[in-house]
Amino acid sequence: MSAYNANWSLMTPEIVLGILALVIFTIDFMTGVKGKKPFLGRMSIIALLVTAVLVYINRGAGTIADIFIVDHFSTMFKIILLVGVAIVIAISMHYLDKNDDVYQGEFYSLMLFAALGAMLMVSSADLITLYIGLELLSISSYCLAGFKKHNRKSTEGAIKYVVLGGTASAFILYGMSFLYGLTGTTSIIDISQVISSLYVDYPFIVVMSILFMLAGFGFKISIVPFHMWAPDVYEGSPTPVTAFLSVVSKIAGFAIVLRVFFTTFLGSEGVLYDEWTWIIAIIATVTMIVGNLIALTQKNIKRLMAYSGVAQAGYLLVPIAAIFIPSYSIGVIIFYSIVYVFMTLGAFAIITLVTEDSGRDDFSSFSGLYKRSPYMAIAMSVFLLGLAGLPLTAGFVGKAWIFISAAQAGMLWLAGVMFVTSVISFYYYFGVIKQMFMNEPNPNDVELKAPLSISVVVTIALAVTIILGVLPGLMIDWIAYIQW
Amino acid sequence: MGLGVYFDNYIFVLLFMFLGVALPVGALTFGRLVRPNNPYPTKLTTYESGIEPTGDAQVRYHVAYYIVALEFVIFDVETVFLYPWAVALGELGWVGLNAGLIFIAILGLGLAYSWKKKVLEWN
Repeated sequence: MSAYNANWSLMTPEIVLGILALVIFTIDFMTGVKGKKPFLGRMSIIALLVTAVLVYINRGAGTIADIFIVDHFSTMFKIILLVGVAIVIAISMHYLDKNDDVYQGEFYSLMLFAALGAMLMVSSADLITLYIGLELLSISSYCLAGFKKHNRKSTEGAIKYVVLGGTASAFILYGMSFLYGLTGTTSIIDISQVISSLYVDYPFIVVMSILFMLAGFGFKISIVPFHMWAPDVYEGSPTPVTAFLSVVSKIAGFAIVLRVFFTTFLGSEGVLYDEWTWIIAIIATVTMIVGNLIALTQKNIKRLMAYSGVAQAGYLLVPIAAIFIPSYSIGVIIFYSIVYVFMTLGAFAIITLVTEDSGRDDFSSFSGLYKRSPYMAIAMSVFLLGLAGLPLTAGFVGKAWIFISAAQAGMLWLAGVMFVTSVISFYYYFGVIKQMFMNEPNPNDVELKAPLSISVVVTIALAVTIILGVLPGLMIDWIAYIQW
Repeated sequence: MGLGVYFDNYIFVLLFMFLGVALPVGALTFGRLVRPNNPYPTKLTTYESGIEPTGDAQVRYHVAYYIVALEFVIFDVETVFLYPWAVALGELGWVGLNAGLIFIAILGLGLAYSWKKKVLEWN
């Protein structure tokens, strides 16, 4: 089937989002360069939700000329990502309202282009499509990270991000070039059919390809030892962009790791699986330990979230290493991704609210938040406890399922590492909670009034975190029986 | 076929690397051996289109230069794509025509954007 007579309607959501992003971009520069533009934020949220509905309507199976694939896996990840970006934009509207000096329209259109890149990535059935989606996401993220262009830290973070991100992309391309050299095709599906026999002849080159691609993708999902950029970039970026990087970039990165490793590198008889599963297990162990231990020493809330995000990436790697049935592992990861998106974005909504109010982003800005805004303090506690994995929150259910999946695959030691590091993480999450409840507010901090967008985001995230924590069956029953 | 055969193919790469280094080095060395050597100050000055050189080469460029250079590269690459597209248009048909037009339209939006942002004004 060639690109001419393919079923292009499968790509409708992407095309619609692309057109809407261009329309918003055009409206932005036609209405003047500067000034507040809240209507563009509202339009962007509507555009993303419309696209999410289109993704749902278009679900099902099909490919376009073996370059673009629509299946349950891509549909689910696209909806998670689109909802995530919509929430990030809701948070951004408050941030941009407080920061007049930031160009507003470009911010929204860059977010939409990044969302488009993430969608292409998730749906790619071809290494080139995957790479184009990845670059669209990455380049938009580089611009967004440096969006406060008169701020030294933002510029520093953006430069670090673009240089290291470019290096990571080069690693991915180098890994892909080995695969292309061996098989003569860039199609993930075609490669997966011949990789087992090629592995017998060229074990060294196939393993090199796996390692190079793992290093490149590892940078995008910030796993140790490729995590060094995360704290600096997270600290320097505008807070909503930090939320974007820690949620959308990371989840999209995990989606392609799953796609590439579970399709291409699984091999037909699981020959290749033994080759990389222990590598990922070791990386997951190191990621969980390093992420959680360094987080203990942080005094800045955004750096804390960066290391916490590194640790969370480690937890998400566990089901990839402990691959017992691929479809089952994917279900576990999708459930934890959903939970992670809502908990992290809820926390970031409150972080944006608090840090923009005080102008500082160390822990002291959270002092006495309970007296200033009880609802926000309680919600923040729930999100942090969820990230730590306390029972009755969705985070506990997600972690418990990861734990069980690791135990079922016979990797009990990996589950043990996860359990111990989770306990360590309680310490730093409780540090923030202690600031909010036990300390007095700073003298010049008065009652904190949340704007509508932040309140809505926090309430939705809180509802999901608690409902999925108390009644996890609502989602698990449904996810566990889909053949991804 | 095994690893050995795979790496044997790299012999041609090594050969090209060797030739790539050997040819310029050999030519310059040969030239140095046979040419007369008679330097004088005027001959050693930097040649720049017959204009007398002034100042240092390490000057700061106007920051606007980089943005204009970026614009130039984008539209330069566009022409690179448009030539083969125009040549093959007969075979590509309507699908190819539409794809090319969408590509041009997106770049056109980019041009309108930079126009509005006053990138094209030099001061």
